[in-house]
Amino acid sequence: MKQLLIRNTLAIRNTLGIALFILVSLASCTTTTIDEFRQGETGIESNESVVILGRRQASDYETRSEFVSCVGERMNRGDGAMRIIPEQEFVDAMFPWFEPRTAPLRTRDLERLMTEDVVADKMTEFGVRYIVWLDGFTETTDRSGSISCTIGPGGAGCFGFGSWEDDSNFDARVWDVGSLTNVGTISTDATGQSYLPALIIPIPLIARVEANACSRLATQLKEFVNGS
Amino acid sequence: MHILDVTTKGLSRKIVLLLAALSLAACGVNNVVIQGSFPTPNINKLPLSVAVYYDTALTEFSYIEYSETGSEEYNIASGQSHVELFNAVLPAMFDTVIVVESMEEAEARGVDAIFAPAIEEFQLALPSKTKLDVYEIWIKYNMRLLTAEGDYIADWVLTSYGKTPTESLRSVEAAINEAAVVALRDLASSFSLSFTQVPEVRDWLNTL
Repeated sequence: MKQLLIRNTLAIRNTLGIALFILVSLASCTTTTIDEFRQGETGIESNESVVILGRRQASDYETRSEFVSCVGERMNRGDGAMRIIPEQEFVDAMFPWFEPRTAPLRTRDLERLMTEDVVADKMTEFGVRYIVWLDGFTETTDRSGSISCTIGPGGAGCFGFGSWEDDSNFDARVWDVGSLTNVGTISTDATGQSYLPALIIPIPLIARVEANACSRLATQLKEFVNGS
Repeated sequence: MHILDVTTKGLSRKIVLLLAALSLAACGVNNVVIQGSFPTPNINKLPLSVAVYYDTALTEFSYIEYSETGSEEYNIASGQSHVELFNAVLPAMFDTVIVVESMEEAEARGVDAIFAPAIEEFQLALPSKTKLDVYEIWIKYNMRLLTAEGDYIADWVLTSYGKTPTESLRSVEAAINEAAVVALRDLASSFSLSFTQVPEVRDWLNTL
């Protein structure tokens, strides 16, 4: 009888262990797809720099500045690293030409903007060779499950299970400031499922969807700008 | 046992006080004073000397957002931030800018024009009401440009818009402030770039 009880306990432990392993494996699983469309030759000198800007013209979302910084930081380090001008520093220095309402939407607008001496001088001062426009957002869908937490004199605890899916979609358009043309577009689509099982304490198993999108996009952008 | 009783009583009192404080906080209005830094525009200066007059309706401007039950929810004071914004923008637009305390003082200073901005309307859209993941602010202005003698030159309407996305670890007050700063920057950009394109202003500039 005692042996049967021990065997059952071990079986439950194993099942829980396997379930947890599957959950962790699934949580770490993020699918990222990168699409590159090249329209022109690229390359960058050591004295030239890149500025990465977020598009903020859409009415129901805006490209988060944290994502823009993340891509910039990753392009600024490692193999083939390049000089990246921080977004806020550039937008403030160029004020009022790169605000959501006044920023150029097409390369034709940039061409017109460059006829302004103050803008052209600042671009030269920064050594800007490429402007990268990031446009996109991360959406959370398919939320399911529920978790309830209780607090009492004997202690506190949570029980339940929750899950959701994150989907990051970002486009990066690369403008060559030298030729005033669009030299290419890189699109990234990352999806991943996150889980939150709670057995006394909640254990978050979060899929790093936006972080993966940032990392893959930055690597691809770096190669694209370097012309490799 | 006696010690345990005292501790329990103390804890109960603390919980009651905390609940009371939370209830009171939930009833009161949340004050938001708009604060931000505004860069100087990179534009060509006009060779004009302009006096700027901020009336108290502008300097003390505040907007109250009401909850769905009709109680005051947010009190947004943006008067001083408007003054700071114009003080950063106007010296980049005109050769000389003088801030005056009254219209009479402006007339006495012998300037080319007097600029008197006014806020006509302020609107706030909260995600809890719009069901969108953004905080939005619209501001409608009436810009007035007068001669040194107080005669009309131009009177035009300008609107500005600012939005900021919702973020998990940011308070509503901080999000409102950020949306307002974006709206103020929008005002500065459209005002500085469109000033010479206002038909009445253009006509007046051609007469100088």
